Amino acid sequence: MTAVTSPETSEAGAPGTRRPRARGRNRGLNWNALLWVLPALVAYAFFDLYPLTQTIRYSFYNWDGIGAATSAGFGNYVAVFTNPEQFASILHAFVLIFFFTVIPVGLGLVVAAIIRDQKAGPFATFTKTVLFLPQVLPLAAAGLIWTWIFSPNGMLNGFLRAVGLGSLAQDWLGGFHTALPAVGIIGSWVSLGFCTVLLLAGIGKIDGSLYEAVRLDGANRIQEFFAITLPGLRSEIIVASTVTTIAALSSFDVIYISTSGGPGYATTVPGLEIYRLTFVSQQVGSASALAVVLSILILAIVLPLQRLGKQS
Amino acid sequence: MHLKSTNDIATRARRLAAIALATATAGIMAACSAPGSSAVQVAASPVSTDLGTAPITLNLVSDTPGVDAFKKMADGFKKLHPNVTINVTGQDFNTLISNAPRMLASGNVPDLVRLASFGNLVKDKLISPLDGYAKAYGWDKWPQSQFASLRSNQEGTVRGKGSLYGAGPGYGLTGVYYNKTILTKLSGTVPTTLDEFEALLKKAHGAGYTGLLTNGKDGGLTYPLQNLIMDYGGAAPVQAWNYNQPGANINTPATVKAATTLQSWFTNGYINANTNSVDFTSAPAEWQKGQSLFWTSGNWSAPAADKALPGKVGFFLFPSIKDTDTRYAMSASLLLAIPSKSTHKDAAAAFIDYVQTNAAARQITFDQLGLLPAGPEGASVPTVAPGAQADTETQFAKASGSDGLVEFMPNATASMSVSTLIPQTQLLVSGKVTPAAFAAKVQSDYTSSLGK
Repeated sequence: MTAVTSPETSEAGAPGTRRPRARGRNRGLNWNALLWVLPALVAYAFFDLYPLTQTIRYSFYNWDGIGAATSAGFGNYVAVFTNPEQFASILHAFVLIFFFTVIPVGLGLVVAAIIRDQKAGPFATFTKTVLFLPQVLPLAAAGLIWTWIFSPNGMLNGFLRAVGLGSLAQDWLGGFHTALPAVGIIGSWVSLGFCTVLLLAGIGKIDGSLYEAVRLDGANRIQEFFAITLPGLRSEIIVASTVTTIAALSSFDVIYISTSGGPGYATTVPGLEIYRLTFVSQQVGSASALAVVLSILILAIVLPLQRLGKQS
Repeated sequence: MHLKSTNDIATRARRLAAIALATATAGIMAACSAPGSSAVQVAASPVSTDLGTAPITLNLVSDTPGVDAFKKMADGFKKLHPNVTINVTGQDFNTLISNAPRMLASGNVPDLVRLASFGNLVKDKLISPLDGYAKAYGWDKWPQSQFASLRSNQEGTVRGKGSLYGAGPGYGLTGVYYNKTILTKLSGTVPTTLDEFEALLKKAHGAGYTGLLTNGKDGGLTYPLQNLIMDYGGAAPVQAWNYNQPGANINTPATVKAATTLQSWFTNGYINANTNSVDFTSAPAEWQKGQSLFWTSGNWSAPAADKALPGKVGFFLFPSIKDTDTRYAMSASLLLAIPSKSTHKDAAAAFIDYVQTNAAARQITFDQLGLLPAGPEGASVPTVAPGAQADTETQFAKASGSDGLVEFMPNATASMSVSTLIPQTQLLVSGKVTPAAFAAKVQSDYTSSLGK
């Protein structure tokens, strides 16, 4: 943007003396600017905006994706809220926010604060690498590994039996009450590294003299965390929360691999339902309506979050 | 200065946003018409069994595990028809099934495609009826029950009768594997009635074994369920329901009774307690432990079952109430269809005839695809070493001879398996739904799915 604005500012003269001619030039520059963003805009319009409009369009029809469509009015939207399976999938996605966002951001803050105290060194580097590793793995692979860990004869139950807690061992992904928290934990594991690294970068930007100042005032580690670290990380926390909330609400791969939505409907999520409605049932209209509702819900949560970040 | 340029940027951004919004709105407005197109219109071409001498290249799309077998069959076919070359390509099964409608509607269609079901392909006229070829090659003189599930009316709404829309090299068959070692220990014999079967489940449980191994995570509980429904109420109502015949209803006393039995088997500990997290790929590993007396699955598991416990595994059809009643098995064809837009339909049909009738091709079907070839009466029978796989062959002959082959309930509608039967059977055995609520839900999902 600077490259575009600088000639304009130099020619426009002193503030307040803007001539009409300059305005005309401005208009030309606008097209010039448009030219610069055109490649990205075309790609964005073609791959994002156009599909978005089409999704909205499809959501008002009963359509199998190929043949002739019939109008559905708002029927597909009504179904999202009246069909118990579709509505349950939305509720599950909200439960997942706790595991994908609240736990990783909370834990990430603690871990980042601890690592900050370690200063640089092999331990800090090692910890960062280990924590960030899940972010590098494809989610499908993570889902598969955790399926083994959670299986009745898997690592988790093996560990519980080894430490004498064998009575707690169970079929984690097959149990109606344990399946959703279990897949949630997979999400926590994936998000934790991302949140920690982001928050660490944020801590690095906090002025070190602030820490010295509170130390001189006699604050302990915990007071220091709440007085300096937490407020200083506001924008990083917002970013981490935004990204992980979107991941929670639009989750698909981990669930598809580990439980396929089961047992019963215990772990269905909108992403899974949209996939099944589109590709299994060929009900493109119903799938589109659910997708639109999901997008609106994501915006309804993310936009206030963003606003919160700008208030500082 | 700085302030002003920031304002300018903001103005510009607003203007851009306005343009984007206008474009989007225009897009929606312009797009308000109904999506999709009316069905592809392809003129019916005359049927010929003469492939001439001009070079022909056929493209066959299979699921990945089937590629090798089809390549071998293509080689054999080329020896008979030197001018026909068949390119076999593979796609992941789920990807292939999901993409088939779009692939067949595109400008670049294969000449033969492996499908799992017709879905809307008949309705959208994307695959060709094969009646002309059935007549030309004499398929219409073969035992017709093998083609029932491959027939559909032109609207694609009712299957089981009407035009033939596909045929293929072989069939699947469900039944019960049994562990011979455990059966001997329990001093039992292969059960011939449902009561004997249930008594053995109880005995096995009492001796610390798993009576019946099932893979409930991906639909394995529907096998014993469907068999029980057919034992209690006969196969005809189930078959009518599977084929979407008007008025078909599965919410019957037989279904409620079957659901009650299945639920009690789980509650009594006859079925593996972890069924809801055992899937198709992990079941053979459970079987290999040698702790399960019975395992309900299909003939596709026979090689794995034999390999897991060599010489100790047998296979029988799910028992009926009385020894003399028909014993039913679920069966589906590996289905090859010819897309409407294919330009080499004659050669494609010739290949479908070849895979059904040629002795070498039938042996490949059995050995490599793990399926049972049907075809004409008195056709060559693949050879196999004794074991569970050999049992599946004799049991298939038994079931097809007594008209006991029935379509899978999970294939009744596109979403019946993943959206209804899998979650509902999981809820049923866990006691989260009653047998009556189960039967009602299966029917209501069926009705709403067909209504779309």
